[in-house]
Amino acid sequence: MRNGEYLCLLGPTGAGKTTILRIISGLTIPDQGNVIFDGISMNKIEPEDRRAVMLSQSYALFPQLTVADNILFGPDIRQYDQKVKQRTLAEMLDLVRLTHRPDAYPSELSGGMMQRTALARALASGASVLLLDEPLRALDARLRISLRHELRSLAKSMGITTIHVTHDQDEALVMADRIAVIREGRVVQVGTPGDVFDNPASPFVANFVGQSNFFIGTVEEKSESTSVRGELGHVVMARPCDHKLGEKVVVGVKVGNTEVHKEGEGYFDGTVERILFEGRNIFLDVDVSDVGRFSAKIPSWRLGRLAVGDKVKIKWSADKAIVFSMPLGGLEKELRVE
Amino acid sequence: MSRLERATAFVSKPRIRNLWTLIVIVFFLAFVITPTLFVLTYAFTNWDLIQTEVIQDPEMMSQIWTAIANSFEIAAIVTLIDILVGLPMAWILVRKKFRGKELLDTLIDMPLAVPTAALGFSAAIFWGITPADLTNPLGLKIVSSPFLLIILLHIIFSYPYMVRSLSAILEQIDQTFETAGQTLGASKLTAVRTITLPLFRAGLVTGIILCFARSLSETGGTVAALATVANTDFNTAPTLIDSLKSTPALAFTSIVLIILALVLLVVVAIVVKKLHIPFRKVWPRPEKILSRGLAPRLKDATSVLFLVFIVLIPSFFVFTFVFTSSPSTTTDWSQFGQSLVNSFLIAGVVTVIDLAMGIPLALYIAKNRSKWLPETLDILVNVPLIVPTVALGFSLKLFWTGGTPVSGPFAIFLVMLAHIAFTYPLMVRNVTGAVEEIDPTYEETARTLGAKPIQGFKRVLFPMIKASILAGAIMAFTRSLGETGATRAVSTTVLTAPNYIVNLIKLENDYYAAALACIILIIISYALMLALRYITRRRKGVS
Repeated sequence: MRNGEYLCLLGPTGAGKTTILRIISGLTIPDQGNVIFDGISMNKIEPEDRRAVMLSQSYALFPQLTVADNILFGPDIRQYDQKVKQRTLAEMLDLVRLTHRPDAYPSELSGGMMQRTALARALASGASVLLLDEPLRALDARLRISLRHELRSLAKSMGITTIHVTHDQDEALVMADRIAVIREGRVVQVGTPGDVFDNPASPFVANFVGQSNFFIGTVEEKSESTSVRGELGHVVMARPCDHKLGEKVVVGVKVGNTEVHKEGEGYFDGTVERILFEGRNIFLDVDVSDVGRFSAKIPSWRLGRLAVGDKVKIKWSADKAIVFSMPLGGLEKELRVE
Repeated sequence: MSRLERATAFVSKPRIRNLWTLIVIVFFLAFVITPTLFVLTYAFTNWDLIQTEVIQDPEMMSQIWTAIANSFEIAAIVTLIDILVGLPMAWILVRKKFRGKELLDTLIDMPLAVPTAALGFSAAIFWGITPADLTNPLGLKIVSSPFLLIILLHIIFSYPYMVRSLSAILEQIDQTFETAGQTLGASKLTAVRTITLPLFRAGLVTGIILCFARSLSETGGTVAALATVANTDFNTAPTLIDSLKSTPALAFTSIVLIILALVLLVVVAIVVKKLHIPFRKVWPRPEKILSRGLAPRLKDATSVLFLVFIVLIPSFFVFTFVFTSSPSTTTDWSQFGQSLVNSFLIAGVVTVIDLAMGIPLALYIAKNRSKWLPETLDILVNVPLIVPTVALGFSLKLFWTGGTPVSGPFAIFLVMLAHIAFTYPLMVRNVTGAVEEIDPTYEETARTLGAKPIQGFKRVLFPMIKASILAGAIMAFTRSLGETGATRAVSTTVLTAPNYIVNLIKLENDYYAAALACIILIIISYALMLALRYITRRRKGVS
């Protein structure tokens, strides 16, 4: 991690995201391995001395303390000077827009206010690392989206190094400097949101960060692009790759980059099976006999022109599709979320 | 760094924390569990003595078995009656809203604050046929069977436990189940009987164990009641232990009592948990009729009448005694004063030690579930609650002194140890329960915010469990204050207030003084309980 960075730890439920936060904060002792802050091993350091503050899903605001007392919990423990405490409190209340409610108890606050109080408490403790465990989870959908920006800019303005755990890919893409995708306790890819989205390191990442279609075949030809032939003779195009000719591979392409047309050339012929209206986009399932189902996300204005049962052709441009090695346990196991 | 900071840093070191946990566990094993069960080893080390002095003495054996049988029969009947009358009362307390509910709530706990020795005397002069020199025109004088008298007495102080256990569960049972049943066409009675009652099992187990164990342990009230009606040949197991002199006979009775109590209560716990209340069949018409109109009102009225006439009036009947009889002149009141001082001293010290040693153990158990050691400790903690206190007292004395008579300050010290043994579980259970309800993230968050474990406890966890700690302390204090059995098992001459009352009745037949002492003890207990309630309320209001 870099100093001052906002990192999102993205992974499905049970991937070990919270465990990583607990290990970093010192609440869980790792069986092996090392947590290093600024070149110093933290393994023997107690949680209270690590200056890595955890913000849990439920916020854990102390119910018997007011907003102000909650915020001053850290400064109180560290026995800051009275003047410093008052200044910190004023700054924090201002920062999280709670100047009008310092004497309220947590039970009197709305979800968003509780979230902001918890954040202020974490920031006021003088920590240099902020550990956020699904901080937006308990909020309703609209508030969750509007708080994304606020949370990130607060952390950035304080220059605090932040690790934000989430299972929501949109949240991670919008908020992170870098995303670390984690699965079964292992980090499978670290990169900028654009990188993780456009250049996924494995079929799992390709599917978990923005849904993808997959096609299994062998490498047939390598030039400016790769052509891959399936068992039934379908040939698809993809980006250049390092795989050998004849090697079994998986081609992945994001549903948003999958094109569906009634006329013209296509890699596959299929039948529209299902149309879901999602507002701005429509989500289309197309059945290709003997190969499987392909999904596509296309603009809503095309809604009237496609109907269930229509014969369509599926294609994509070669530079949008990525060639992966065949996963060891098979494609299905690779894509499984839990 | 200030001295306080240095001390905080010192006790927060992992090694010191582990050491403290170790000390507390050792304390629990050495001062609570081992002394409580020590008498069991007597069977191995001195079997020949038991053989010659007890088992080969048919008269002694029949005396012991009769007493034990009496104890278990009484406990079973009392528990059964408590369930039957406790259930409707729990219902009134939890589900009904009416004026004076708070008063009713307080009334139910009242017998708990009265030392049982005072209750025994009070109930005996209300129900019993008393000797001529103990004339009281207001007494009913209708109960001649000591068996029945003891049942009536034991109901008084076990009833609150049953009502409390059942209402605690009822509060947690979601009423929407019942409402759902009713919207599906069931009458109220049918819905309650088939949906809510089967959910009562957990509360029923707690209630049964508390009532049964309380009845089985009771010594002071029983001795006082039997002495008041001048009955010398009826014995329950505790009163027999109270009157026996030979160590082998005492040990034998204690061992049998402990083993039977443990076995029986484990069986009860298993049976009630496995038991499916089997009344699936419904009788729509009769149940509908019983759900409306007169029947439910009759049920509520009976519950309240039972509380008033069976529980409350006999408890406080002793107050009438001082108005209807003439004072005696020979009473040594300085002894009573001294006994009060001793009782409060013992209860105070015991409560402080329970707090200091009980809270750490409760924290250790609550926070390390799923490991074998805390789980085992959690089960062991219940043992002193089930072992009859009189057997516990004898066992403890055997452990520390080998059974020789004790007196003076050392006897008081031993009494304190005995009281710790049976009040300690109350504290641990109260605090364990409270800590388990609290989300551990509060304390964890506090630590990542920079609080050392002891600061996290003081500033975050403690304010949340304060009420339960205080409740545990009140329970420990009042139980210690009212205890007779364990005290008398250690020494019948130790001057505690309940013991003083028992001796006044039993040895000196000074009933007037006994009544007056009871009244004073009751008043002091109440003043204390009210003061504590006041403090808890006010604290709640502030935070």
